[in-house]
Amino acid sequence: MGRQLLRATLVLTVGLLLTGCATIRVSSQTDHGIIWSNYKTFDWGLADALPAGDPRLEKDPFFRDHVAGAVEKAMATHGFVLSATTERPDVVIHYHANVAERVDPDYVDRDYGSCASDDCRPRVSRYEAGTMVVDVVDAATNVLIWRGWAQGSLEGVLGNRDRLRRRIDESVRQMFETLPSAR
Amino acid sequence: MLRFIRPVTVAGVLIAALALAGCATLRVNSYVERGADFTQYRSYAWAERGAFATGDPRLDNNRFFSQRVEEAVDMQLAARGFEKSGPGTADVLLHIHARMEQRLDTAAFDPIDGHCIDDECRPGVYDAGTLMVDFMDRRTNRLAWRGWAERSFDGVIENQEWMEATIDETVARILAQLPRKPL
Repeated sequence: MGRQLLRATLVLTVGLLLTGCATIRVSSQTDHGIIWSNYKTFDWGLADALPAGDPRLEKDPFFRDHVAGAVEKAMATHGFVLSATTERPDVVIHYHANVAERVDPDYVDRDYGSCASDDCRPRVSRYEAGTMVVDVVDAATNVLIWRGWAQGSLEGVLGNRDRLRRRIDESVRQMFETLPSAR
Repeated sequence: MLRFIRPVTVAGVLIAALALAGCATLRVNSYVERGADFTQYRSYAWAERGAFATGDPRLDNNRFFSQRVEEAVDMQLAARGFEKSGPGTADVLLHIHARMEQRLDTAAFDPIDGHCIDDECRPGVYDAGTLMVDFMDRRTNRLAWRGWAERSFDGVIENQEWMEATIDETVARILAQLPRKPL
């Protein structure tokens, strides 16, 4: 009885971990030789020419403004100052969003270890996977010094402004936790 | 009849599962252009980096990735006696291509009996990466040698150290296939 319960719990936990629908995965890469205290001010770079892979994100002012706001807030908490328009900033920020279809395999009924359907083919569900990439570039040398990203399923997010706003905030916040501080 | 077939089927499925499991394996391959005399090549240079469309937004225009690949190639070629020179004088120009895509691996799934081979009973998905190194003859502008490797990159990009180690190992395995120079 106890064992069965444990097993069921384990299966549920693993299932929740793997389906990952609501989870955001963040990570970043950097050059470890960077002296972050040299960088104090930032500004926005030109929008990149890479396609977003989804027309719903192209030229969407709501998305753009919200990402910009969230990134500026995150940079401020790390001690960076948005540079005055007349000054050259120490770093320039670019971001890029991408949507791609990915598949997530479904579990087969584990209790019996056999197939529910007759043809016994693995079932997969498709979902829209979003990736947001933020680049911090040395303004003087034009060299990338930090790249952070957040990834997650966008099912039910792109068509809902509230969810999209929350997702952007949470993605940017978590992503910037991996940025070394300027302080 | 059925009794006779069964063990054979099971063995076949097991072998197929091992062959397809693929996640941990690294497949390398290469070819030498017909008529290319590899012994005449002594020096190389990097061709201009093209727009890097990798299929993964985390790797597009990511110098932490592309520079590491180039450094790994430089190291391997130096160990093989190649000389790095300018793009106007080198015997060969090198190009790198990288491509990521999501793969579905159904090996964990017994397609015949409707029973699961492993405990998890779930087809797997993983990120597969292909890395390709091209040697172009600078004078004829024709491909002289191409080597590539295909492997799982699942979770690799999220961990920079792991990515760097994976690049180093993959590049070493690709270039180990270069035709040997006669002494």
